[in-house]
Amino acid sequence: MSSLGTSRPMTGLPRWARLTATALLVVAVVSLPLNASPFVNLQLSIVLATAVALLGLDVLTGWTGQVSLGQSAFYGIGAYAVAVCTARGWPLLVGLAVTVLIAGLVGAIIAIPAVRLRGYALSMVTLALPVVAVPLAKRLDGLTGGSPGLATRTVSAPEWSGLDNDQWRFLVIALISAAVFLLVRNVLKGRHGRALATIRSSEVLATAMGIPVQRYKVGAFVVAAACGGVGGGLYVVAVQFISPETLIVTFSISLLAVLVIGGLRSTLGPLLGAAFYVLVPNVTGAVDAGQSYLLYGLCVLLVMFLLPGGLASAVHRVLAGAARVLPGSRPAVPDLPSQHPIPAPPLPEREVR
Amino acid sequence: MLLFYQVLDGLVSGSIYAALALAIVLAYRATGVINFAQGQMAVFSAYLAWSLTTIGLPVWLAIAGALLLSVVVGAFLERVVMRRFESAEPLVGIVVSIGLFISVNGLVSLIWGTSLTQFPAVFPAGSIELGDVGITYVALGTVVVLLLVIAALQLLFMRTRLGLGFRAVAVNPESSSLSGLPVGLLLMTGWGLAAALGALAGTLVAPALYLQPGMMDMVLIYALAAAVLGGLDSPFGAVVAAWLIGVVENLAGTFIPAIGNDLKIAVPLVLMCLVLFFRPQGLFGRVEVERV
Amino acid sequence: MNLLEVTGLTTGYGSSTVVHGVDLHVAAHGVTALLGANGAGKTTVLRALSGFLRRQGQLVFDGHPLPSGSPSRVARAGIAHVPQGRGTLRQLTVRENLAVGGLLRRDREGVAQDMAHCEDLFPVLRARRGSQAGELSGGEQQMLAIGRAFMSRPKLLLLDEPSLGLAPRITQELFEMLPRLRQDWGLAVLVVEQNANLALAIADHAVVLEAGQVVLAGPAPDIAGHDDVRRAYLGD
Repeated sequence: MSSLGTSRPMTGLPRWARLTATALLVVAVVSLPLNASPFVNLQLSIVLATAVALLGLDVLTGWTGQVSLGQSAFYGIGAYAVAVCTARGWPLLVGLAVTVLIAGLVGAIIAIPAVRLRGYALSMVTLALPVVAVPLAKRLDGLTGGSPGLATRTVSAPEWSGLDNDQWRFLVIALISAAVFLLVRNVLKGRHGRALATIRSSEVLATAMGIPVQRYKVGAFVVAAACGGVGGGLYVVAVQFISPETLIVTFSISLLAVLVIGGLRSTLGPLLGAAFYVLVPNVTGAVDAGQSYLLYGLCVLLVMFLLPGGLASAVHRVLAGAARVLPGSRPAVPDLPSQHPIPAPPLPEREVR
Repeated sequence: MLLFYQVLDGLVSGSIYAALALAIVLAYRATGVINFAQGQMAVFSAYLAWSLTTIGLPVWLAIAGALLLSVVVGAFLERVVMRRFESAEPLVGIVVSIGLFISVNGLVSLIWGTSLTQFPAVFPAGSIELGDVGITYVALGTVVVLLLVIAALQLLFMRTRLGLGFRAVAVNPESSSLSGLPVGLLLMTGWGLAAALGALAGTLVAPALYLQPGMMDMVLIYALAAAVLGGLDSPFGAVVAAWLIGVVENLAGTFIPAIGNDLKIAVPLVLMCLVLFFRPQGLFGRVEVERV
Repeated sequence: MNLLEVTGLTTGYGSSTVVHGVDLHVAAHGVTALLGANGAGKTTVLRALSGFLRRQGQLVFDGHPLPSGSPSRVARAGIAHVPQGRGTLRQLTVRENLAVGGLLRRDREGVAQDMAHCEDLFPVLRARRGSQAGELSGGEQQMLAIGRAFMSRPKLLLLDEPSLGLAPRITQELFEMLPRLRQDWGLAVLVVEQNANLALAIADHAVVLEAGQVVLAGPAPDIAGHDDVRRAYLGD
């Protein structure tokens, strides 16, 4: 529907501007931790971890149109998998591989009944996941450390780098996040993205076009679960600790909210949404600790009122403006065919009351 | 005998879930949005009632006052916040109501703080003896209040002009406006009524739980499950589902040691998933077959 | 004295204008037919009149400017609109649909009388009073929609394609009934109809739209006899 716009901020820019921007971004990411305090590095690491989880949720909810309130459960699976593995001295990559396996498997199991449902029934079934996950994490205390949680040393900066641990962790997380983003983006760029978009607009049409709807929907669930798991794993890399309290239901609900706030179906959306989730409470808390939650909630409402396409749509608008003035620009393509394979059905005119 | 008390306990908690589930169904029928903030609004109302008792009102009067104020709050939120998003896709409605949830939670913490506050007892202590079983006044009172609420709603919806107006607007606002019904006003009243029902749930549960900003979070989960399990647009279904959830959860928690108190919440949720798998429209929901 | 006098009506959906400066009127107790091909803007005119669309132009109803922006207020001013195909509240019973029509009236006895009158006119509504409106056949739903419109005691009835999807025999009955309703209730009618023959048979005035503009207007017999109209809409 029109109210949740998509945006691809870079498409309108000329090639040299895109390359420069990408290069600047890489330099910025690499040099950022060197000058930042450990607290800032930790915050930015959590932003990236959350962004990976949101990216997965975007594949499921944004691209496939299946509203899920259960992303924190997969986040939890990943967090505990990485924590348990690294606590045993296994390398991080083994932990992440275990994460992808378990989270993906659970995602597939959940998906089989869930793809039959739509709308609110689906959101309720997915909401059940974090509700059950928290007491389950407490119950399995032999593995998870129970209510007090589980502390672990994930990665430490090697001698040769001359970096502090917080700086090294940020770089590791940035590298893995970038890899996940590139992977998912490339998968969505081609016919898979088109197929998902078709399913979102009409499952009947997608079936008629020969798209294996059920398989795609299960696939979206698995990708969402795996990304959610990796996000949780990266969170543990950053924080070196996980407890059931991290996974409370409100976190799961917030993930969906900040995804929409960041913007659906855009690379930038999960990043901006994650930044909103992690950083806005810091800002509002700095204004007044007592009012921080109220201000945070008002920010959510404000974005919904003012930017129906999410924060990414605002960035997109700014960049589209820049693209018009930069030399060498090609005309911006507002809607790639992959986004809207068929014209959206006409909306009934808004009722006047 | 243990079984009897466990079922009774289940019905009592189920009645509280039912009150909030009714609120969710009512708001959903009015505006097509599942209001995730319904529980938080109920917390706000319960605190309002508490504040009224601190200025010397008897608890029943304070609750009545809070119910009335809640109608105003609910109507206000519908008009000012939700109205803009009612024709948008469900995802937008969910996110806006989540924003509302966070805001109201913050507002409650800001006004009343986050520490536990004792809410005065609504029903007298002690129990009524029937043969060899004793039923506490709290249990009896909670169930009776819910039954009265159901009767009152039934009267309102099926026997009054206002109720007919509500139902017409719930079915089709545009078509209703062609008969001159004040659609906006009816939607506001619908949300107001929902807020009052939520307030009732909040004040019924408050004496047992102590007042705190997050006190309705778990009740909200049960109420959402009941609303969806019952079929979302069916008040009757919501009540039956809420009782079912309350009883099943209690029995499973008590009689199946492996589940215990901490995991008993999983039982009604798994039950809900199973039912939805076979009946995606819920137990009492209607499948609207479009006639072209 | 005209009940409805529309001058220079311009309206459309969002930023696209569909109707450009249309003039039309409905005489008191009169029937005006609004004719035109598919997409000429007939339905848009009705939706603008009943307040669903933003509009420009002068609209005088019963001596007062027509309220804009609120379908409810238009309905309360005395205009009942029976929209195309979906004039009933599907999940409510037949009885309840009629009751919703008269919901804002204060005279309880008058409402009861009118409901009885409706059921006399359309006996099927009495026979199926307890059924859900959505279970009725297309023709029965159309009767219910008209009955519901009458229950508000309007001065003007807007009928949008009442024959759409109806069997010819039922359409015939419906149109034969319209003049009678007009006598019984003393109301005026603005009817949009693809089937121009039907509409012109009961109308006393007709307006022909093309691409959102009036191309022809006059007494119904003149329009019916007009060569262009006969060619374009009457299938001659």
